[in-house]
Amino acid sequence: MANKINKPGLNDDVYAPMLSPWRAKAKISLVFFIILFFLWYSSRTTGVDFGDLIMGFTNMGQIIDKLFPINMDVLGPAFDRLIETIHMAIIASTFSTIIVIPVSLLAANNITQNWFIYNATRLIMNILRTIPDVVLAVIFVGIFGTGPIGGIVALFIFSLGILAKLISETVEAIDMQPIEAMRASGANTIQSIAYGVMPQVAPQFTSFALYVFEINIRASVVIGLVGAGGIGQLLMSQFSFNNYGAVMTIILVIFVVVVIIEYISTKIREAII
Amino acid sequence: MIEFNDVSLVYPNGHQGLKDVNVTIEDGEFVVIVGLSGAGKSTFIRSINRLVTPTAGELKVGGDNILDYKSKGLRDLRTKVGMIFQSYNLVKRNSVFRNVLAGRLGHTGTLRSVFNLFSKDDKALAYESLKRVNIDDKIYSRADQLSGGQQQRVSIARVLTQKPDYILADEPVASLDPPTSHQVMKYLRKVNKEDNITTIVNLHFIDMAMEYADRIIGMRSGEVVFDGPVSEVSEATFEEIYGRSIREDDLRGGAKDGEQDQ
Repeated sequence: MANKINKPGLNDDVYAPMLSPWRAKAKISLVFFIILFFLWYSSRTTGVDFGDLIMGFTNMGQIIDKLFPINMDVLGPAFDRLIETIHMAIIASTFSTIIVIPVSLLAANNITQNWFIYNATRLIMNILRTIPDVVLAVIFVGIFGTGPIGGIVALFIFSLGILAKLISETVEAIDMQPIEAMRASGANTIQSIAYGVMPQVAPQFTSFALYVFEINIRASVVIGLVGAGGIGQLLMSQFSFNNYGAVMTIILVIFVVVVIIEYISTKIREAII
Repeated sequence: MIEFNDVSLVYPNGHQGLKDVNVTIEDGEFVVIVGLSGAGKSTFIRSINRLVTPTAGELKVGGDNILDYKSKGLRDLRTKVGMIFQSYNLVKRNSVFRNVLAGRLGHTGTLRSVFNLFSKDDKALAYESLKRVNIDDKIYSRADQLSGGQQQRVSIARVLTQKPDYILADEPVASLDPPTSHQVMKYLRKVNKEDNITTIVNLHFIDMAMEYADRIIGMRSGEVVFDGPVSEVSEATFEEIYGRSIREDDLRGGAKDGEQDQ
């Protein structure tokens, strides 16, 4: 019997197969129309209008006008607050990097055999990760008052959630054979972790710690807007005084420093992995 | 002395790993366990350091029934019993020296080992062990830069650093080529003779078993079907153990008596 796939081609001069079978084509088209529908429906319910976007551009011109000339008087305080931001990021990153070591081991199923502890740790970390950094900042500024302490605690919890996820997955992917050998030679759990697990995850661990530091620098600017200290707080106050020249200076300072830090951090991470 | 008295092991999935095993191994013996894969060789060996736990019978190592051991007793037992694995089980990113020092973990306090505070004697012992298997020139190389045979020699050095009374080797040459296989077996044999360490090796190559063993134990579906000195073993013995005729791939071949060091 002739092959079914070839059959339609038998009557044509040249048989060229379809790029994908019609079923796949129909599926892709369907998905496309569903997305198009949601796009239309969402813009209808939120009242988004393309006209508004164009109107917005003219407003943008006004704002840009106000941003110049830049106000250099704020440069000194901006650097002071920026250093505070960096300090906040360093403290939060360091503490979360230390605390994440036991947490990520408890959240790795090859190390933690106890079903309850493993799942409980994972659940807590997953819940932490669902809370956006700004919301954490609002909560802890409420608890500790305006200033860097609330910001540091917010950043610490925020980065702990990210690190626990990344590092526990790294731990789960390690080669377990050396650990078996250590257990077989009478090493206890802590020794097996120090000699078998740590050397295997060290490069990724360092890389993730730097990555979280980068994220914390950017996040600490944002959470400053809700009063959690650092340069974000300065940016917000200048904004509320309509001091646009100063706002521009602060934005430029943030931009330069974030780019420099990310560049250095990326280079270090490339060198490690 | 290692004594198996009516030892049986049934895995949680119902598979019978060991069935009424009765074996006594004297101190200083070099025993090779042969059998097809799945015959229970691994289970036999791993029962001795309790990487698996038999479900019935009595298993004595140095006079004590090890089946009762809990965490501390178990760790003490394991410091006395060294193990060599088919895939070497080194930490690939660590240096050879660090891997060999890991053999001292069972003898070192947790805090000291976590902060790398090994005694001078421990480090000297680790270096001596590397010298005994002729790989001291690779001391600071990373483990993953070594060939398979070299890695297996490092793992022998690691076991020597442990100063064990017994060495268990679970298919130590299965991942190696014939000349390297013979080299590794020669080192195991040498250590057994020089230090009088009781050595139990799993092999499925019958020519290697004949060449290196004092005594051969044959296993089939969890049971000991042969146990005797090498002098009593013939091809017919292996055919009985394997339950089929001997084939080409049951032999390792290669350097029979060659001086294949390095």
